[in-house]
Amino acid sequence: MSSKSDDGPAAVVAPGLVDQFFRHEYGRLVAVLTRTVGVRHLDVVEDAVQGALLTALTSWTAQGVPRDPGAWLYRVAYNSLIDALRRNTSRRRILARAVDSVAQGSHDLPPSYFAGEVADDTLRMLFICCDDTIPRESQLVFALKTLCGFSIAEIALRLFTSEANVYKRLARARDRLREMAPEIETPPLETLKSRLPSVQAVLYLLFNEGYLSSQAEAAIRRELCDDAVRLTTLLAEHPIGAVPETFALLALMHLHAARLGARRDARGGLLLLEEQDRSLWDRERMQMGADWLERSATGDVFSRFHAEAGIAAEHCFAPSFEHTRWKEIADLYAMLERIDPSPLHEMNRAVAVAEWQGPDAGLAVLDAVVPPAWLVGSYLWDAVLGDLHRRAGNLEIAQRHRDRALASAPTEAVQALLRRRLVIAT
Amino acid sequence: MSKKYLFLQRSQAGNRQQPSPAQMQDVYAAFNAWKEKFKDDILDMGGKLMPGGTVVTTTGATDGPFVEAKEIVGGYMFVSADSIERAIEVAREMPMLMPGATIEIREVAGP
Repeated sequence: MSSKSDDGPAAVVAPGLVDQFFRHEYGRLVAVLTRTVGVRHLDVVEDAVQGALLTALTSWTAQGVPRDPGAWLYRVAYNSLIDALRRNTSRRRILARAVDSVAQGSHDLPPSYFAGEVADDTLRMLFICCDDTIPRESQLVFALKTLCGFSIAEIALRLFTSEANVYKRLARARDRLREMAPEIETPPLETLKSRLPSVQAVLYLLFNEGYLSSQAEAAIRRELCDDAVRLTTLLAEHPIGAVPETFALLALMHLHAARLGARRDARGGLLLLEEQDRSLWDRERMQMGADWLERSATGDVFSRFHAEAGIAAEHCFAPSFEHTRWKEIADLYAMLERIDPSPLHEMNRAVAVAEWQGPDAGLAVLDAVVPPAWLVGSYLWDAVLGDLHRRAGNLEIAQRHRDRALASAPTEAVQALLRRRLVIAT
Repeated sequence: MSKKYLFLQRSQAGNRQQPSPAQMQDVYAAFNAWKEKFKDDILDMGGKLMPGGTVVTTTGATDGPFVEAKEIVGGYMFVSADSIERAIEVAREMPMLMPGATIEIREVAGP
């Protein structure tokens, strides 16, 4: 990735370690060790991993980074985990014996896998947490905590919710996982396949949380996008996940991520698509997106990810705003609407139609939409109506929508953008 | 002539607010930058001390606590400085691993 530093100040460089090393090792180690001792010991596993990272921090600052930092961390975490389990189970003989049998296994090699298992521990964990009985929002929080290595406070910040709320969602996932019988930890192939849509949905959510943010702190949200891409790439390379829908999802992520760096001006304000400097778009990412999109174009399922990736590709590869193929985009939104009905898609289609056939045609699309309360109350709805009416010459109606949009805009950056867009000539 | 100072790192025992992996990465980078900045002053990076310990008195040996029940000495380090002021400067800029941690500075007597 070449456009990493576009948002916010560059991060401090950690000598000898790759970017986000601690966070990614956290996720990897929790996944590996959970596989070894079982999801019901998740709390102990997380403590052991946290402890190992802290030990590394003090030891490596004094003595330098060992040659294989990942293996070093695994050893320390593994030993402390086994110690903790022995202490916890000292009076329960049977469990203690079980711990011993684990401890007698290899210390350095992660255990081998049975046929049909998800052979990547991180992915495996993702499939486990996508159990149907865990609510989607709890799945997301759990994935952020255990697989991405974010703290409760950091998750709350990234999901714009309270720490108490994050904790509640996390507890729901953990309670459920703790109750799981050990055999549920190795779901049969059929179950894994049936969970694939949930896994894709969580990854999509993870990406959107990072991408759709209009908050000031762009840098930290960017990490969510990067993590989503990382995990989706793992999924796309795995036999169970290597299906056209996953490829389309990955294409969609790359094509959006390619434009991330150009969404803000020098002062951090948001830029409209037509104001963005297209030369800042990340060509390498665009190519990756195009490659995955090409791979996704097989089979007979046209998923919502295909439609969304198609829309993102139209924007990415248009030579300019004026030369965008708005008809294609309008058609793709119509397909998206058929696959996954939402007034939001109709609203987006109206915007594309307006560019293609003029504001009145766009307004005609919106006339057929009965917007639910959540959409009417959002600044987006008023902003789109305000813009289309302004361009259609209905200045009074435009003014009304403009005022409402400004009043409900979530951030100052969005407000500033709306003020620029919805100028009403007097 | 430069003097030798012992840095004792103390933190609150039972401090539940542990740094997140992302914070650890930042601290690690900041610590290395600090080490680089004061590389001429740091004599010995020292090390981390195991928690707990034993106090030997004329009446026998007991477990800690050493200073206060709530504090643990987590690590030590040797720093060379012309004055206590300079040693304080070095300590002040040291990134802290744990929130609320402190450094005790003691001059080492003798050669």
